[in-house]
Amino acid sequence: MADLILDDLSISYGSYKAVSNVSLTIPKGEFLTLLGPSGCGKSTTLFAISGLNHATSGAIRMGERVLFDGRSGTVVPPEQRNIGLVFQSYALWPHMSVAQNLAYPLKLRKIGRAEQDERIREALELVEMGRFAERYPFELSGGQQQRVALARALVYRPGLLLLDEPLSNLDAKLRERARVWLRELQERLGVTTVYVTHDQAEALAVSDRIAVMDTGRIRQLGTPKEIYETPADAFVADFIGSSNFLTGTVVGGSDGAASVRLDDRTVIRAKVGAGGTGENVVVAVRPERLQIVGGAGDNVVQATVQGGAYLGSVYQYELVGAGSTFRVQTSREIADSQVFVYVPPEASTLFSAQSRPQA
Amino acid sequence: MTELAAGSPAHAGRDRSTAIFWTVSILTTILVIGPIAPIILQAFLDQPLYKPEAALTAGNFVRLFTEAGMGRIVLNTLFFAVVTMVVAQLFGSVMAVIVGRTNLPGRKWIGEILIWPLFVSNLVMAFGWFTMYGPSGYITLAVKAGTGLSPWNLYSLTGMSIVAGLSQAPLAYLMCIGAVTKADAQLEDAARSAGASPMKALLSITVPMMRPAMVYSAVLNFVIGIEMLAIPLVFGGPSGIHTVTTFLYDQGINAAVQSDYGIVGAGAVMLLVIVGLLVWLQGRLMKDSGRFVTVRGKASRPSLVDLGKWRWVAFAAVAAYVLFTIVAVFAGIFMRASVSFLTPLVPFWKLLTLANFELIFSQPGYIRAILNSVVISFLGGIIGTACVVLIALVAKRSEFRFRRALEYVALFPRSLPGIIAGLGFFYAVIWVPGLDMIRGTIWILIAAFVVRYIPIGFGAIAPALSQIGEELDRASRISGGDWWTTVTRIVLPLLKPALFSSFALLFIHFFKEYVTAVFLYQPGSEIIGSTMLQLYAQGDNGPVSALATIQVIITALFVFMARRLLGAKIYG
Ligand SMILES: Nc1ncnc2c1ncn2[C@@H]1O[C@H](COP(=O)(O)OP(=O)(O)O)[C@@H](O)[C@H]1O
Ligand SMILES: [Mg+2]
Repeated sequence: MADLILDDLSISYGSYKAVSNVSLTIPKGEFLTLLGPSGCGKSTTLFAISGLNHATSGAIRMGERVLFDGRSGTVVPPEQRNIGLVFQSYALWPHMSVAQNLAYPLKLRKIGRAEQDERIREALELVEMGRFAERYPFELSGGQQQRVALARALVYRPGLLLLDEPLSNLDAKLRERARVWLRELQERLGVTTVYVTHDQAEALAVSDRIAVMDTGRIRQLGTPKEIYETPADAFVADFIGSSNFLTGTVVGGSDGAASVRLDDRTVIRAKVGAGGTGENVVVAVRPERLQIVGGAGDNVVQATVQGGAYLGSVYQYELVGAGSTFRVQTSREIADSQVFVYVPPEASTLFSAQSRPQA
Repeated sequence: MTELAAGSPAHAGRDRSTAIFWTVSILTTILVIGPIAPIILQAFLDQPLYKPEAALTAGNFVRLFTEAGMGRIVLNTLFFAVVTMVVAQLFGSVMAVIVGRTNLPGRKWIGEILIWPLFVSNLVMAFGWFTMYGPSGYITLAVKAGTGLSPWNLYSLTGMSIVAGLSQAPLAYLMCIGAVTKADAQLEDAARSAGASPMKALLSITVPMMRPAMVYSAVLNFVIGIEMLAIPLVFGGPSGIHTVTTFLYDQGINAAVQSDYGIVGAGAVMLLVIVGLLVWLQGRLMKDSGRFVTVRGKASRPSLVDLGKWRWVAFAAVAAYVLFTIVAVFAGIFMRASVSFLTPLVPFWKLLTLANFELIFSQPGYIRAILNSVVISFLGGIIGTACVVLIALVAKRSEFRFRRALEYVALFPRSLPGIIAGLGFFYAVIWVPGLDMIRGTIWILIAAFVVRYIPIGFGAIAPALSQIGEELDRASRISGGDWWTTVTRIVLPLLKPALFSSFALLFIHFFKEYVTAVFLYQPGSEIIGSTMLQLYAQGDNGPVSALATIQVIITALFVFMARRLLGAKIYG
């Protein structure tokens, strides 16, 4: 196995650029997730790696082996890339039994009968589907089909495993179990994996690293912890953990911290985000980090309660204050209509107002 | 990095697939262009195109429009086509709404009978009409004897146009019934809850949804009207009324001396241009038909509208229509085949005879015509389906650069009237050196039929193909299969039902075909249709009916078996 390298990869459909100048190096054995909202170009990138899409420019390499090179015109067809791919719809061939589905790639590789049987058995055991070898796809539940699809992608021991939202067709409970199981399996096999999802919780739970994408670009690349705790810009802060944004202007600061005058003239302190700042900024802070306090003080803003909902483990309230609308999560119910909210400086990050996602 | 390459399947694959793309595309293009090129060439030559001294000229067109009374013929053709279309659309759409969506008594078997005419050629229909409603037809004479008046004259332009329209109504019916019965029930339910009565909901919501089906079948029937041979020949011939097709037929075949190649070529080009324009128009008109897409997801079928006390009135009207325009026409053929002389003045059982069938089975030429028809339809159905599925797979399921162009070329024969296809292949074999080999054999017939009906097969296969998710192909490619492995191992097995339907449809079309064959057959390669035309020209109506009866029986057997054994979908 070898590192997977995407080098300045771009993919256009006519004049529309679905993927713009993506560069990534994925070391062997890593579990990397492409995370982003629907339509941001995740699948397009993944299918370009598999060869089922044609990239427009840039290069894709597995170690020394060039899979695609826009400059020299090299395009290795998908069937020669030896990559495993699990589709969102699973794409099990309906006229073949589970065993036949798994045998197909082995036959194409001219593997002997005895070894075929051995490998099929092994792969089905791996996904705990050994008992279902003779079933046809329509006789399986969604979760079982997903496992068979994974077994089919692994049975020929590919150099790279690609997964396109493989869990999105499962119900919520099953999805949570499946992702733990998937991650354990990947660690056991040590296969380099690129995983595509729009579900941030899923991405945080399974990945070694996450590449957050938006409109065809990578916004941030980092470990789940880095992405969550130090988002690179307001888009990432919003997409991961759906931050609140308080608008204001910078009035001073030092040492990676700054004082910001919010729109109601309250001044609070906050960290400076990775993207630097301008004059007009937003302060990003997550709803669960805000605290309801008894009265005015440092880094405290006054707000009016607009509405609320009980979410099961916490209460979430919609507040208006400091010239912005924002949400707060607390374990206690709020009785008053006027509240004071403490904005912890260590949980607040400044971004330039331009990078703020449009609601 | 050899490790990766080692895991990949061995491949000569890419070159193989590319070779297939090119082969399919080039062969299709040659077969489609093949019959058209010599016709266009001939239209501009002053001598038959096989003569080396032939020179370029525009004189044929000048002669076509000045000498031959062509203005009259063109007007006749247009009038004939317009009336055919109007009559067919009117009866077809009304029948579709009544049979498809009301609680008409016996709607199931009436629906079955309504599509019978689609299984036989309009040569058979023409002959059936002639036998029953011609000047000395069975029903005509019966009415005359009863009332003393001669009730109608089908040997007129209007008469033959109405016959053609009624013969084509089943096609309009077939297209419209799909639109009204597959409409999403929720749309009408929404109208009902907005306050519309069931009948009102049907008329104001679903009937307008028939528009694409109406437009599509209207243009189709217009084109069929323009290129139809049998009905103008049978009903126009005796009174000297010509359409473009009968003119070409007469000039090409019947001209006493040598046929006038130049005029025929020019006339054919004119016909080709008219039909081409109409098919183009059809495409334009169908462009915004997405507005009328009604079948989405698992919609339930709409319910039947209760006609209340009108139920039996409607039944009487529909039954009379079916009885007089379909059942009577078929009955006429069967009756004429089994008597020595058909007249209402003598009870027909007194004239019963097997002589007509005996005649057919005593002549090797007639037996050969029947066998040839079966062999051509069977082999042609298989060859045609194979060609069409290859074309469809390259056009719809490959990354071949010219796949769109291939589809365009393959569907071009929609604008190729049968008489032109036949004429074109006829020219091609005398023009291209080496092709003389297949001249006058059944192989030239198979080739011409297959080319002409590629769009029919395509229509059966393409929708089924789009039902098979492309992800299944992609999964196969990523597993190591090249394009050819993927389509043969994954797509074709899933396409099996559509292949059977395509085969059955092509068989039926080939078995009833006659126009395309008229310039191509020779003693030894005659088919049922060409033999019927010949016998008709000699005035042997008994044997014509016997042959037509045999054709109908074989078709019925085939349809029955194809539905039972192959599960083929033939007209719904
Ligand atoms: N074949 C195509 N032709 C044109 N546009 C496409 C095609 N495939 C994808 N796109 C566009 O590219 C963008 C990215 O798509 P995709 O990669 O599927 O998004 P996602 O991140 O949800 O997987 C979308 O805006 C989509 O509309
Ligand atoms: Mg996607």
